[in-house]
Amino acid sequence: MLEVRIEGRSYQQPVLGEVFASIKRGDRICLLGPSGIGKTTLLNAIAGLDTTLPGGAVIGRENLRIGYLFQEHRLLPWRSLLANLKLVGVGEQDAKSLLGQVGLAGCEDYLPDQISLGMARRAALARCLAVKPDLLLLDEPFASLDPVMATDLKSLISSLMDANPRMAMICVTHDGADAEILANRLWYLDGTPARLHWDDRVGESGLIDGLLQRLRCKMEGA
Amino acid sequence: MNKPATGRPPVWAYWVVLPAFVLLWAVVAQILETSMLPTPLDVLDRLMEEASSGALWNHLGATLGRVAVAFILAMFMGSAIGLAMGRSTTTNALFDPLLVLLLNLPALVTIILMYVWFGLVEVAAVMAVVINKVPNVAVTVREGARSLDYRLEQMATVYRFTRWQRCRNVWIPQLFPYLMAATRGGLALIWKIVLVVELLGRSNGVGFQLHMAFQVFDVASILAYSLAFIAVAQLIELAILQPLERRSSRWRQPEMTYA
Repeated sequence: MLEVRIEGRSYQQPVLGEVFASIKRGDRICLLGPSGIGKTTLLNAIAGLDTTLPGGAVIGRENLRIGYLFQEHRLLPWRSLLANLKLVGVGEQDAKSLLGQVGLAGCEDYLPDQISLGMARRAALARCLAVKPDLLLLDEPFASLDPVMATDLKSLISSLMDANPRMAMICVTHDGADAEILANRLWYLDGTPARLHWDDRVGESGLIDGLLQRLRCKMEGA
Repeated sequence: MNKPATGRPPVWAYWVVLPAFVLLWAVVAQILETSMLPTPLDVLDRLMEEASSGALWNHLGATLGRVAVAFILAMFMGSAIGLAMGRSTTTNALFDPLLVLLLNLPALVTIILMYVWFGLVEVAAVMAVVINKVPNVAVTVREGARSLDYRLEQMATVYRFTRWQRCRNVWIPQLFPYLMAATRGGLALIWKIVLVVELLGRSNGVGFQLHMAFQVFDVASILAYSLAFIAVAQLIELAILQPLERRSSRWRQPEMTYA
């Protein structure tokens, strides 16, 4: 469905090295790695936000609908939640039912700054779903949420993925435990410039655990 | 150390200096008894005369018309230029020297040149005002365009906002404070330049009337027209600008509903 062929990406210093990967429908990828390694850079590249990359860097994006949950909610603060959703092209009824799906029924008319961080993130997730995405990009969706809210959001995302088996997901996280719940593939960025390692053995429980175990040792050793 | 100025001032504070000034004016005018300084009541009389003869409305209307046309043109052109310069460093480098030149060009020079080149016609008058105002708008809006939030830009790109959606929902709300500043400063500047334009080359408008009054040293008329003029400017501020600003910045301090 999507082919990533990045030969390298630098800001002042090289961030990403060669990154070759492919994403298929139904993939649930967790992208792990220490902070500052280039996870968001990779996500932005996949989303088409990196205009400095050459044309062939991400193949197949043009035909995909992408929903991107940024680290911040990035809702327009001067528009109500409902208006924010309608702006990406859904009708009023669909927008309301999406807000209902993420547990924000009755909050349609609030402005993003009137609600809590966790609610705003759920509203942003509803906006991702409003475009009926083929690919869902989640950049640290559980950061700075309290544990209960994070668990709720995790099971919400899990059930959304179950309900849309043709949708692919890439979820950036620091936490291997998130990967155990959400992922059927694991990506790991490591080194300077960062290279992508992955583990594709789907479904056989323990294998992902195995990679996580190795990563943990590596991170603690570093 | 002085306490910093905070909180609401008492209401009476707004009603001290101005009435005292009018009183002082009345007393001095009474003592001097000269036509060079008419009393406030004389000025009010003159204002009423001009209003009932219809002259005040004609001239005020002519001036307001010029202000409105020049203001709208200057805001649109200045905003477009400022936006382009704020978004692209190349455009900025290209036009910045010209902007500096125009910013420092005296209004009087533009007015004279326009009249010399195009004759004493309405178009030349309005153009002179527009040329004076556009650089100010452009500079203010450029600052706004530079401060546009790239994170919302990325969001708009991912969700494939149309250019119109971007403009209306992403840019204008962020540019609004800058547009308001340009509007405020713009109106104040345009008011003043329009009068000079009328004084130099039109046969109606408040500036023209001031010119006529000046030639016969009719201070009562000069003050009467000035007062009418100030009143209209204040009315626009209170009736249009302030409500617009309140309405559009409501989202900035919403009441927290959930925490």
